[in-house]
Amino acid sequence: MPENQPPASAATDAQPGVPIELSQVTKIYPGQDTPAVEAIDMHIPAGELVAFVGPSGCGKTTTMRMINRLIRPSSGTITIGGEDVAGLDDVTLRRRIGYVIQQIGLIPHLSIASNVALVPRLLKWDKKRIDKRVDEMLEVVGLEPGQYRNRYPRQLSGGQQQRVGVARALAADPPIMLMDEPFGAVDPITRGRLQDEFLSLQQQLGKTIVFVTHDFDEALKLGDRIAVLRQRSVIAQFDTPEAILANPADDFVRGFIGEGAALKRLHFERVDSLDLGGGGEDGPDSVDVSSSLHAALDLMVGKGLRSVSVHRDGRPAGHVDVASILARAHRDPDAVEAR
Amino acid sequence: MNGLPFFDYLSAYRDQIILRTEQHFQFSAYVIVGAVVIGLLIAVLTYQSGIRGNFAISTAAIAFTLPAVALFGFLVSVFGQSLFGAVYPPVVLYALLPVLRNGIVGLQSADPAVIDAARGMGVGPWRMLWQIRFPIAWPLILAGIRVSAQLAVGIFAIGAFVVDVGLGTYGFEALDNLGSVNTGNEAIVCIVFVALVALVFDAFFVIVRYFTTPRGSRA
Repeated sequence: MPENQPPASAATDAQPGVPIELSQVTKIYPGQDTPAVEAIDMHIPAGELVAFVGPSGCGKTTTMRMINRLIRPSSGTITIGGEDVAGLDDVTLRRRIGYVIQQIGLIPHLSIASNVALVPRLLKWDKKRIDKRVDEMLEVVGLEPGQYRNRYPRQLSGGQQQRVGVARALAADPPIMLMDEPFGAVDPITRGRLQDEFLSLQQQLGKTIVFVTHDFDEALKLGDRIAVLRQRSVIAQFDTPEAILANPADDFVRGFIGEGAALKRLHFERVDSLDLGGGGEDGPDSVDVSSSLHAALDLMVGKGLRSVSVHRDGRPAGHVDVASILARAHRDPDAVEAR
Repeated sequence: MNGLPFFDYLSAYRDQIILRTEQHFQFSAYVIVGAVVIGLLIAVLTYQSGIRGNFAISTAAIAFTLPAVALFGFLVSVFGQSLFGAVYPPVVLYALLPVLRNGIVGLQSADPAVIDAARGMGVGPWRMLWQIRFPIAWPLILAGIRVSAQLAVGIFAIGAFVVDVGLGTYGFEALDNLGSVNTGNEAIVCIVFVALVALVFDAFFVIVRYFTTPRGSRA
């Protein structure tokens, strides 16, 4: 893998993701009868964010930690870009995989810059290249380098620390990221903002990401695919968010989706998927064409309106009304079933 | 009991006092270096296991409770009046506990999340110890070394019971010649100069602490 490539200029020419393949991966802890992870098979396509969702103790974190060999599988194989990870030196392997955890784990006695520079230093990049990369990464995660470079972790808020955590994981431009509930410990408002920013960052980077969470709504928001896992990391369902919402495999998955599956599905439909009627008079309340039907409906419910104007590039492009959203929700009979 | 006034005593015995202060300083420094090297070595070898770490701390703590004079006496009966046989080993032993205990506790004190994140990004075991655990433990280790230094200076004075070096000799002479004219002066010289040596070491470590504490660890 190209450890000594010239640095990718921030997010633009980043190294794209590579696929991960788990085959019959099992983990049995010594002295325990039942495996923590039992014979999981999974193909994680290059460049996709796969969210592992499941109850506490279901083995989702264990499964993730076997990918960078923080936990050694008892049997089975894991390949990254076709290469068996067991054949690589642990340290070499891990330097090619970004790793972000809920508790962040910034090194307290090192400056923010040195924390971000951790892996590039391990890979012996020259100093100039490291300095440049650190500034780029801080900008990518929305921290002004001049202001934050020389600060220390304890001087930052939890949300800022996790931005640094993400910058540190991305610094050496690894094709793969493992993220264990990375936004779980911050307040809901910061969490929402970090999720939005991370989503748009990932759209530019196209890394292959394994994202562990117990929050199904987070999985819906971020995941290209969601793996719903039950005990022993057995896959209950592995599919796109839309497909899981439309066709939950069983009651276990339905339980995870929780209330309001039909409403949640509207998150995945854009306003411009409906016939907007074109032109027309412009009302005081409007949504953008790229908004979700959920956002449009939410606005109408909130304002007590039956329809709102739709804007494209800030100019009126038509209307969307409650009836057409309901018609869309009912067009697919699965939407009704999913309730 | 009309001996010399204290300052006259000082000037009369000036050369001898300076010599003994130098000895005390120098030999205490050897003891501190020995205790730091041995203590940190044991700490590095035992911190990863709770059982071994506790065993090392308990053993050092038990050794710490042995009466110093009895231990010196015993070692003299074995090795004779030898600095290396009967003085250094017990003083190092007493000075070992604080540096050992703080070393083990300090190396164990790194936040598990810091260790997990670093390991997950490919920091190997040696680098983890020297670049992550050790700097995190350093303020605690240094505090241990400071206490060890005070113990070394204090207990080295008792070593004069065995071998006639350092400032402890004044203390024992004072006890031996109780009631003689300069008893008071001898005792005061022992106390004041031992305290001075201890203060010099402490000042040294305060300066070391200032220059070696990473900015991120400063409270």
